[in-house]
Amino acid sequence: MNLIGTLPLVLDVKTLFFIINKGLQGNVCGQEFLDIILMAAAFDQKVVVLFEGDGVNALLKNQQPECLNLKNMMPVLDTLPVYDINDVIVEKESMEVYGLTENELAIKAAVVSRSDIKKQLRSADHLFGF
Amino acid sequence: MKISIQINASPYQHQAADTAWHFIQAALEAGHEVYRVFFYHDGIFNACRDSRPPGDERDIVKRWSALQSEKGVDLVVCVSSAQRRGLLEKSVAKKVGGYIHAVADGFRIAGLGLLMESVIESDRHLTFGA
Repeated sequence: MNLIGTLPLVLDVKTLFFIINKGLQGNVCGQEFLDIILMAAAFDQKVVVLFEGDGVNALLKNQQPECLNLKNMMPVLDTLPVYDINDVIVEKESMEVYGLTENELAIKAAVVSRSDIKKQLRSADHLFGF
Repeated sequence: MKISIQINASPYQHQAADTAWHFIQAALEAGHEVYRVFFYHDGIFNACRDSRPPGDERDIVKRWSALQSEKGVDLVVCVSSAQRRGLLEKSVAKKVGGYIHAVADGFRIAGLGLLMESVIESDRHLTFGA
């Protein structure tokens, strides 16, 4: 990233919400979306990652996308804390739709109700989806 | 207002590139600054030099190039999205024996750092084709 040298030294800190509402396999967009999340963290922004809708399935343990020659995203999700991304939330109602429980999730995430998420979203400077 | 734009969808198959282009025209006319247009995911196909639509149709790629040459809007194509989809920057293409004229005039190829910089620098970041 040789262009980083041209950026100002002190950047504002914004709250960026990244909404994952579909599975991370099937097309490459999920994978490329995770790249933006990691880049935001690398720029020291306040990052919140929200899993909702179909997206909650991305958090399930024991996925084997390798058997379809697809990339396993779990190692990337595992590295979120390394990037200081600790605000990972899952929508409670979406988990109920798929009958998921907290101990089926592969990474540490806060289960939060839709109404509370709505309140949190108000604090965001930008929302990202894919 | 300082505005940055992200385009996630390919031209012609989706309306995202059209809507974004019209939005940008209106924003510039109203006196706003368009800080950067960042092409991500299949949005990188907006930069295909050899796109040749029939003569009675709008030429989306040429329209972007004109936006850069006439209004000076910064058009940035994500390097990893582009390489994955076969759109190579000249020096990379030379190195790997690829097609060296793939990228249309007015576009530059760069990393996600430039997306994040424009998100931080702008008052609004709008995504088309999410």
